[in-house]
Amino acid sequence: MAPPRTALQQFFGRSVFKRSDTALLALVVIITLIAAATLGDFRTLSNINNLLNTTALIAIVAIGEAVVILARQIDLSVGAILGICAYVVGELSGHFSGALGPIMGVVMALGFGAAFGVGNAFLVSVLKMPAIIATLATLSIYTGFQIILNNGSQLYLTQVPPWLAGLRGNAWFGIGTFIWIAVICLVVVTFLLRRTRFGRDVYALGSNPDAAAYLGVRVRLRIFQIFALCGALAGLGGMLYTSQFGNVDATAGSGMNLTVIAAAVVGGVSLFGGSGTAANAVLGALLLGEIQNILELTRISIFAEQTLQGASIVIAVAIYAVVSRRLRRPVRRQSIDVDVGHDAALAVETSGE
Amino acid sequence: MSSVRWLLVRWEVGLIALILLVLVLGQAADHDLLSSFNLQTTALNSAVLLCLAFGVTPVIMTSDIDLSVVGILALSGVVMGYLFLHGVNTWLAIAVGMVIALVCGLINGLLVVLFDLPALAVTLGTMGAYTGGSFLILKGLAITTFPSVVVTLGSANFLNTQIPIVVVVLGVIGIIMTYLLHGTVFGRSVFAIGGNRKAALFSGIPVNRVRIMTFVISGFLAGFAGLLFLGNYQTAQAGMGASELLPAITAVILGGVSAYGGTGTVPGVVLAAILLALLQSALGLHGFSGEGQTMAIGFLLIIAIGIPPLVRTYQDWNRRRRSPVPRFASAGPSNGEEGM
Amino acid sequence: MAEPTSRDPQNVVDIDSQRARKDPIVELREIRRSFGGLQALSNVSLSLYPGEIVGLLGENGAGKSTLVKILTGVLEPDGGQILVDGSVQRISNPRIARELGIAATYQEPAVFPDLDVAENVFAGRQPTRRGIVNWGEMYEKTDEIFSEIGIKLDSHTPVYHLGIADRQLIEIAKSLISGARVLILDEPTSVLSSREVDSLFALLNSLRDRGISLIFVSHKLDEVTALTDRVVVLRDGAFIAERPTSEVTISQLIHMMVGREISDLYPSLTRNAGDVVFEASHLSRPGYFQDVSFTLRKGEILGLAGLVGAGRTELAEAIFGISPPVSGTMTLDGLPYVAKSPRQAVQCGIAYLPEDRLANGLVMGMRVPYNMTMTVWSRLANKLGRFRTRFMQRQASDLAKRVQLQAGRLNQLTSSLSGGNQQKVVLGKWLATEPRILILDEPTHGIDVGTKSEVLGIVAELANSGVSVIFISSELEEVRAMSTRLLVMREGRIVAEFETPIEPHVILEAASGVVSGRVS
Repeated sequence: MAPPRTALQQFFGRSVFKRSDTALLALVVIITLIAAATLGDFRTLSNINNLLNTTALIAIVAIGEAVVILARQIDLSVGAILGICAYVVGELSGHFSGALGPIMGVVMALGFGAAFGVGNAFLVSVLKMPAIIATLATLSIYTGFQIILNNGSQLYLTQVPPWLAGLRGNAWFGIGTFIWIAVICLVVVTFLLRRTRFGRDVYALGSNPDAAAYLGVRVRLRIFQIFALCGALAGLGGMLYTSQFGNVDATAGSGMNLTVIAAAVVGGVSLFGGSGTAANAVLGALLLGEIQNILELTRISIFAEQTLQGASIVIAVAIYAVVSRRLRRPVRRQSIDVDVGHDAALAVETSGE
Repeated sequence: MSSVRWLLVRWEVGLIALILLVLVLGQAADHDLLSSFNLQTTALNSAVLLCLAFGVTPVIMTSDIDLSVVGILALSGVVMGYLFLHGVNTWLAIAVGMVIALVCGLINGLLVVLFDLPALAVTLGTMGAYTGGSFLILKGLAITTFPSVVVTLGSANFLNTQIPIVVVVLGVIGIIMTYLLHGTVFGRSVFAIGGNRKAALFSGIPVNRVRIMTFVISGFLAGFAGLLFLGNYQTAQAGMGASELLPAITAVILGGVSAYGGTGTVPGVVLAAILLALLQSALGLHGFSGEGQTMAIGFLLIIAIGIPPLVRTYQDWNRRRRSPVPRFASAGPSNGEEGM
Repeated sequence: MAEPTSRDPQNVVDIDSQRARKDPIVELREIRRSFGGLQALSNVSLSLYPGEIVGLLGENGAGKSTLVKILTGVLEPDGGQILVDGSVQRISNPRIARELGIAATYQEPAVFPDLDVAENVFAGRQPTRRGIVNWGEMYEKTDEIFSEIGIKLDSHTPVYHLGIADRQLIEIAKSLISGARVLILDEPTSVLSSREVDSLFALLNSLRDRGISLIFVSHKLDEVTALTDRVVVLRDGAFIAERPTSEVTISQLIHMMVGREISDLYPSLTRNAGDVVFEASHLSRPGYFQDVSFTLRKGEILGLAGLVGAGRTELAEAIFGISPPVSGTMTLDGLPYVAKSPRQAVQCGIAYLPEDRLANGLVMGMRVPYNMTMTVWSRLANKLGRFRTRFMQRQASDLAKRVQLQAGRLNQLTSSLSGGNQQKVVLGKWLATEPRILILDEPTHGIDVGTKSEVLGIVAELANSGVSVIFISSELEEVRAMSTRLLVMREGRIVAEFETPIEPHVILEAASGVVSGRVS
């Protein structure tokens, strides 16, 4: 029988901590230790805070992108959705006072984000456009909205309500709010993926879309839900963006698209679909965020970001393809064995005819 | 004449009709649309788009995709600009830029074909890698002076006519591409691979070689597009040309090349690019900003992809309505003959 | 070892009387179905009772898979009725079939490789508790059903680790979970090793004991006689006979399947084989074929018979460079021959007409002349590289004449041709290369009788003119009538060689592994 399972494993199921995840986590820890030991600038409180906040932000959006990738789709428009929601939340949530402010802020972030995600889903599901081209188109359309919203200027820190502006600096029980939010997203999405029909359908769609449709998965509904979730998380990331960077202009979030895909893929989400977890996205965000931070601090190059992300996608895809080909049993019989015993028995049976 | 062929012919005719429509409406709205100055500017501004589209077309026709063309444009453009700045011989610099573009395309081809990796993922990654390369080289700088040869190529007119040199150059490239894709064995192989890669392979067509070649062509023309960019805008900056990816792909799809490969024509792509350029120009004259124009292109791409399946569904529905034969629900040769 | 309970005479009596007391779960009455001009099923009636295993037998083209498709809702019949539990039903799509309790598993099981076994078994119907997926229950229930019917799989294993035999077991468990009462197994054993077959049969027997009605569609007569309670034989779309398995011999079954009609379908062959043109020595590709050696002479038609899964297509693909053999050598005209790609094989004068012409043989979106000349496009270019379209049209029309394709069909889109004409285009494509060796893999699969005889006539002429042909076919009559010499493959090895003419049942016996009471 199967070995007894720890409480954590029982809650999340078997696959939360795979071998590759542990290796990545170890890598992150090692890099952190080396950087902390050798780079003075790394150890400063402000750098750590910055790093954690940026990583949390990327991780949140990457979790959303991971869900989309798991279903064998892709969303190139997350950066624009983030940017729009950054502006909208910053601008509008100030109209609500007191506790209503943060509540409405989150609602708007998730709501607008989901709405844009639904737009993507419409193209993919109803118009049957390949996701890559659909989200390429919506990227430009949403970026256009973003520019129209900003209307030539930008949103200034002073216009942002104080609860939002201060969010980056706040801490609950000693841990920054961004981290809390990221953890909540991680837990919620992991739960959705692992414990709901929705989540299992996501994996089914990514693993074998034809069989999924055949077996009664409501494909159209799931596509809408998947892209809406991704958009909502991008929107949430936008809200955090406003807090982190203060000024929101028309280019907010424009570099995010590649970053979140790289984070998800490097963290272990397969671009072929069907394999990976939300935790993978977080791990990938951690790793990439850290490396980026170190590159900045050592002045190796702030400009290496895109190369790093692009190359890591290619490498991750190549590694995954090679490994999975090794790992998967070819769907063919493995051995031809002329089993003498079997034939002899047959001879006995048929000789009586 | 079978219905699909008819539709295709109609597609180019449809494009021409749309072009005329834009011309008429645009001219009525802002009388400058057809002025020679405006047409020249439009042509100059759409050169890069068309050059990229030419390169991406064979790749999409083999049912692959190449997102990294803008990265190759940026990288080779930046390299050329950098070399110009440092006084390297103009032609040598151009050669270096083009070689880099070729190599980038070759890398794409090798990764996708030899390693059998999905083109989407690979070129998404190499797009980042190549664009990032341009950042690494030029960082935050912008180069604004270029050799006169380059500027002439990108902005001047042909001899004493009103026609910009780029139009002539692109015309030549267009003729070469049309010949390549429609008049050579290579081109036929591209269509066959896009239509049914296995059948092409089993028929002795050198599938791997052809696919790698399409990526190399794509890279080369992306590099050339970088050169045209430098000549027209006279700026070299890291990450330049990134906004041209969507219009280029739109031009290809709008031009009738199926996203799944196997169909399409080069003249169709040219017509689509002209349509896009005129549309952008008309919108611009009417007060739309650059981003508004890009939005419009996004919508156009959606319409371009959305329509053929809707048309097909309508045709199917029509056919079924006219002859109610029990339809089979799934897998089986589409012509309905079966054994067993 | 599977215990063949149906063979015990007492049990046979019990089963018959048991059956007499029960009503059929599914009844097919006078089912008719045709495709184009081809009548695939004509007035076939069949009843399925609970707690039995029925063997469905017939050659290729007999109508077995059409019948299965009608039962599972993939196709609808043109005429006749389907009754489930006594009431008439219209099974217009697979979902309805599943709801009625009819399930099928095929050679290639449809699974989710990234998910684990339990989730595959419960695909689409994961157990939930207040809306939340209950993994505990899923694993438990899966383990339960596995132990009930005797499957030894860990429900936590991700399916990509599992081979095809285990994936089949998962599919079977899945159909049980979804409440299937009728389970159809379509050629399940052609990709299994004999040990895996034994496990499968033990499982099927325990299913039968639970009251499930099983249909076992197979060419492997030894297995059918070991496993089933009764057999139903189809031939050319018609119901031929039904017998309790204990009352028939394999030779009788073969006789029923093959029939005794002699048709003018087949051309006469001239037998003037020349020198050895091609020789294979000890070719092996583990998992597909083993230690294959044979010679091929100029102008002869070497038939390659065997059951589905015997390895014939894989052998052909190895010779043609699609999946080269791992060990062994080949010679062509005495010189060593190696092909690492189809292109190389074509350059050496070898041509291969693949089994699945739609997937592997034709580009549907292209017009006929292009498909017809695809193999020789490089010869159509002039010195500057221009593709000479008019030259191609001339070539295409010459080829069309050679394959007897009507001229009116020439400039159409390939997708608008009938199956028979499409096959002629593929044949023409290969004739264009003027091959020395032509390998045909099920060349008359799914085409009408008239075109069939035309195609076969062309093949005979080719052989007569000096082309060496390897003719792969699962149709006994055809392979025996079209070969001057015949090899039989079974489970990846060549097990017999015959000079034709020869009785069809001898071929089938060799292919099934039973030769007149002696083990082959």
